[in-house]
Amino acid sequence: MSLAFDLYLPQPSPLHRLDPRVKIVGLVLGTLALLSVHNFWVCLAWVGLNALLLAIARVSLARVLGMLRLMLPLSLMVALSWPIFYPEGTTILFSVWRITITAQAVWHGLALALRLNALAQLYFLLLFTTDQMMLVRSLVRLGLPFEWGLTLAIALRYIPTFAGTFQMIAEAQQARGLRLTQGPWVQRLRAYLPILIAMIITALRAVDHLARALEARALGAHPHRTAYKDLRFTNTDWITLLIGAFAAILFFYLRLTFNFGVHPIDLFS
Amino acid sequence: MLRTAHLTFAYSGSPILCDLSLTIQSGEWVALIGQNGSGKTTLVKHFNGLLKPTHGQVWVGERDTTTCSIADLAREVGYVFQNPDHQIHQSTVREEVACGLRWQGYPPAEQHERLTATLAQFRLTDYAHHPPAILGFGLRRKVALASVCALRPPVLILDEPTGGLDARSADDILTLVAQLNAHGHTILMISHDMRRVAEYARRCIVLQAGRIVRDAPPRDVFADAPLLQQAFLSPPPVTQLAHHLGQPGTPLTPEEFYQGYKRKDL
Repeated sequence: MSLAFDLYLPQPSPLHRLDPRVKIVGLVLGTLALLSVHNFWVCLAWVGLNALLLAIARVSLARVLGMLRLMLPLSLMVALSWPIFYPEGTTILFSVWRITITAQAVWHGLALALRLNALAQLYFLLLFTTDQMMLVRSLVRLGLPFEWGLTLAIALRYIPTFAGTFQMIAEAQQARGLRLTQGPWVQRLRAYLPILIAMIITALRAVDHLARALEARALGAHPHRTAYKDLRFTNTDWITLLIGAFAAILFFYLRLTFNFGVHPIDLFS
Repeated sequence: MLRTAHLTFAYSGSPILCDLSLTIQSGEWVALIGQNGSGKTTLVKHFNGLLKPTHGQVWVGERDTTTCSIADLAREVGYVFQNPDHQIHQSTVREEVACGLRWQGYPPAEQHERLTATLAQFRLTDYAHHPPAILGFGLRRKVALASVCALRPPVLILDEPTGGLDARSADDILTLVAQLNAHGHTILMISHDMRRVAEYARRCIVLQAGRIVRDAPPRDVFADAPLLQQAFLSPPPVTQLAHHLGQPGTPLTPEEFYQGYKRKDL
């Protein structure tokens, strides 16, 4: 799939070659670790680490900037609203009316905005470097029932198809005089109803046809399934997994024993 | 009625249509033929404003399409899409045919007059209260055509009107279109059905890689073997048979073939 809805771009990079299961485990551990820290420097270091990984994965600057642009409004909202609503610490920077802005809260807000970016980067990194079908395959190999995996794969596969159908239906209705861009917003919203109804009818028909096509190809006839393109752990995968596990154990040991990364500015508290 | 001047259209930098200039007169029946991806649908979408030219100009009558909305052009140019399910969304055939009239803001009395006339013209009166979504494919296509024709646009664009239809339904649809053409409607039809192109169209425009490679009556187009080969097209079976038998001329219908065969025999 090469449409805009698929973020995957094949590249000859070590991250692309890594087994998706290693990446999923890494993503889960990374998410847990990131959610447990509030320190500006740790979050900044993590963003730096992600930038390094994005470079290793040969993700183009345009895609990285696109990702940053997507995250910018939310990051700004978090960074600006946190000091206003959660004042903490004793160093007061300034006070206006009932609002007191403290240095610690500003650092905390910045840390959380960075954390949000670091988390998003991790997920984007997985999607940039992993083919959707192999991602689903890896979920099945990790224990997800095959039917669920297939449902997920079909859902992902049909996003661009339905986007195209939506466009086509919108054109067909406009060609009969439907105005989508005129009038107040309620009227404009109502104008989308004919498109949505035609979309639902078309989608139901597609679902029916797809179900028949899958049955015609004997889906579910054999309880034991094999895969044409299966996943195999290589030595690199094992080594990466071990390094990741060791780093995670070290991180959580420091976090739980020495409160590493809990304070917005100090590394240990 | 329809005119393009140096029409060029590019999508994401790749040219789809290259410097097309053509004029279609009122009352003509023009078939647009060419292999998949040759730019047929892209070209016709310019006539109702769904696409705007990257370079060049497109006129419907005296109106430049870049200055009109799609909804305004819908009164002039009716576009019947390839898949009727992309249009059908109402709970009855009657409402489906009427919705374009409602969107265009016709007064209720005129809506009623046009609706009744259109249902009768397309022999859909018996199905008026049926849900269109569950009708057979041929009937759904007829409903889609009727819902566009209810607006009585002087120009009718048909994208693959006979695709996926059996012979009877296909002839049924094209007979209705022929009646509209006889009443002065301009027909622009995209088709891969060469038998019906030969039978109904009076002018053929052959597109290849976004360029017009031939614009001539069907007989001249189907007689031009090198052109057809170049454009990946085949003439109607009856024409191919006549060529194989060495019959002079280019018969387009079984009747023409029979007349020629008789003459040769005599």
